[in-house]
Amino acid sequence: MTIRPPVIEITAAQKMFGSFQALSDICLSIEQGEIVTLLGPSGCGKTTLMRLIAGFETVTAGTVKIDGKDCADQPPERRPVNMVFQRYALFPHLDVFENVAFGLKVKGTPKAEIRERVQRMLHIVQLDSFANRYINELSGGQSQRVALARALVNGPKVLLLDEPLAALDLKIRQHMLVEMKRIHAETGATFVYVTHDQDEAMILSDRVVLMEKGRIVQVDRPEIMYAAPRSLFAAKFLGETNLFEATMASDDASGMTAVIASGLRFHSSVVPAGELRGKVIVSIRPESFRFARDNDTTQSATGQVEDVIFIGSRSFYTICLAGGFRVRVQIQRSTRTSLPKSGEKAEIFWDSENVVILPEA
Amino acid sequence: MKAPRSSMGSLLAAPAVLYMVVFFVVPSLILFVYSFWTAASYKIVPDFVFSNYLNSLMSPLFWTVTINAILIGLVTASITLVLAIPVGYYLVYVSRSQVILYLILITWFSSYLVRIYAWRTLLGTSGVLNTILLQAGIVDTPVGVFLFSRFAVAITLIHIYLPFCILLVVSSLSEIKKDLVDAARDLGASPLGAFFRIIAPNAANGLVGAFMLTFVMVAGDYVTPQMLGGSSGQTTGLLIADQFRKTGNWPLGAAQAFLMFLVSIALYFAVKGLGRATGLIVKRRPAKKVGA
Repeated sequence: MTIRPPVIEITAAQKMFGSFQALSDICLSIEQGEIVTLLGPSGCGKTTLMRLIAGFETVTAGTVKIDGKDCADQPPERRPVNMVFQRYALFPHLDVFENVAFGLKVKGTPKAEIRERVQRMLHIVQLDSFANRYINELSGGQSQRVALARALVNGPKVLLLDEPLAALDLKIRQHMLVEMKRIHAETGATFVYVTHDQDEAMILSDRVVLMEKGRIVQVDRPEIMYAAPRSLFAAKFLGETNLFEATMASDDASGMTAVIASGLRFHSSVVPAGELRGKVIVSIRPESFRFARDNDTTQSATGQVEDVIFIGSRSFYTICLAGGFRVRVQIQRSTRTSLPKSGEKAEIFWDSENVVILPEA
Repeated sequence: MKAPRSSMGSLLAAPAVLYMVVFFVVPSLILFVYSFWTAASYKIVPDFVFSNYLNSLMSPLFWTVTINAILIGLVTASITLVLAIPVGYYLVYVSRSQVILYLILITWFSSYLVRIYAWRTLLGTSGVLNTILLQAGIVDTPVGVFLFSRFAVAITLIHIYLPFCILLVVSSLSEIKKDLVDAARDLGASPLGAFFRIIAPNAANGLVGAFMLTFVMVAGDYVTPQMLGGSSGQTTGLLIADQFRKTGNWPLGAAQAFLMFLVSIALYFAVKGLGRATGLIVKRRPAKKVGA
C-alpha cells in the first residue's frame, strides 16, 4: 500500500502585492476528503491563499503542489480545483442547467454525459426542477446551490469555497451549513472553506487554519483550537474568554501555575505552545466555571455577583473577585441547584484542564 | 409614494429633453419638411414633391458616395472596435489605472483639424511613411495612394474615433464583473474562451452599440474625406454638406440626409440580426425576481 500524497501541499509560500506582504511563510498540507477552513479577520490573507490554490494568484516564493504536482505554471483553467465564489458569479445569460454544464461543455464532454452528470448534481443540491430557470429568478440560497453544483459537477480534487454564505441571511446560512456537510459526505470531495465566521468554521471543519496578518497562527481540530489556543489572538478570535495578566509562578510535571495581581493562582494542565516565563496571560472560557464543588475540583475563588443575564438555556454572570478582577461566567440552566442572585456572594470553581496560559502578545 | 417620485424624474429630465426638442427634434422636423420642397436659384420654394428622394436614389453619384461611406464606416468601425476591445479589457480587468485612460483621451485635447493635417504630413509623397519606404528600398518612387484615398480616410478616422470607441467599450465591459471571468477560467475556459463564452454574450449589446455609434460618426464625417479622400474617398456626408454649402439646394441635401439616416438604421438592424444569428447576442432574460 502506498501512502497518498496530500491533495494540497503548500511549502514556504509567500505573496507580495507590490511592497505589501500579503502572505508570509505559509506551510500547509490538506488531506483527501478533509474539510479545512481558512479562518481569520478580513485582511488576514485567507482569500489570497485560496486564490493561490485556484491559480488566480501566483506565489512570490515557495511552492504550491496539487495532487503531488507543482502547479506554478498552471493557469486556473488547468488546475484540478473548482471554486465557489462569494457572490456566486453565476453566468446571467445562461440558465441553471447551462451554468452547471459550463465546465463540462468547455472540456468537450459528450452531450449525453453532460446531461446525466448535470442532472445528478442538480439532484444532489436538490434543484431537480430548476434546470430551466434563469439565474435572476433564483433566491440567494438557490443561487448558492447552483454555484456549488457548477463547481462540483467537474469532480474537482479540491472544492474551494470563498465565504460562500456571507451573502445569505442568518436562517438560510444555518440551513446551508447543514446542506454543505451533507453534500460533502455525498461527494467525498476535499473542501477548502474561507470564512471570517468562527461558528461556520467550528460547525463545518475537520481542521481549522487560523490566520492573522498573512501568517498561519494555528492549525488544529476545532475542539482543540477552542480548548487549547496557542496564542492570545487564537483565544480571543474563537469564542468568548476571560483574560488576566499574570506572572509565571511555577512549572513542573503536574502543570504550570500563574499568579495574577490579586494573588489568585491559576493552575493549568494544558500543554503550552512553548516555554513560558515572566509575564503571561491566563485565559478561561466562561462555561468552564461552576457554582458547585466537584470531587476533583482544586481551584476556587469568591466574589460578588454584579450582574445576571438570563437567556433561556444559559445564564451569564459577571462576578467581581478580590482586587476588582471581573469574571464572566456562563452556567447551563438547571432545576436542581439554586443559583446566586445579583448582589449576593458566590464561590466559583474551575478545573486546571480549562486554564490556558498564553505568552503575552 | 410613486407619483412624487416620477414627477421628480420628469423634472430632472426636463432641461435635457427641452434642449433636445428645441435644438434637435424641431430642426430635424423642419429639415424633413424641406426635403419635400424644391430649390430654384439659391432659394427654397414650399412644395410637396418626392423628386429630391427619387433623384438621389437614381443618381449614380449618390450611390457611389453612399457605398463609399458605408464601406469606410464598416471597415473603420470594425477595425476601431477590434483595436478598442483589448484596450478596454486591459483597462477594466487587468489594470485599474486611470492614467492609461487619461493618456488615451489626451489626443482629444488637440484640434481635429490639426490631427488631419498631421496625417497629411505623415502620408504625403514626401511624408514620413514614403520616406521610410524609400530609404528602406521597398519602393523606388513615392507611393501616391497613401494620401487622398479611402485608405487615408480610414486610417485617420480610426485614429480620431478610437479613444471614443475605447470609452464605449470600457463602459460596456464595466458591467460584467471580473468574478464571471474568473469563474469561467476556473471552470476550464482559456482567456480567449472566457471572452467569447462569457464577456461577448453579456457585453454584446454594448459592443454593438459601440460599433454602431462609431459607424454613424465615421460614415457621417465629411471633414476627413474632404481633406484626405481625394476623388475616390468622397462620402455621403461630404455630398450632403456640399448641397447646403455650395449648391444651396437645401431640399436635396435634406432628402439625402434622411436617406443616410435610414441606411444607418437598416445597418443597425442588420448588425444586430447578424449577432443574433451567430449566437453572439442573446435575448435579454426576463428580469423577474423571487424572494428567498
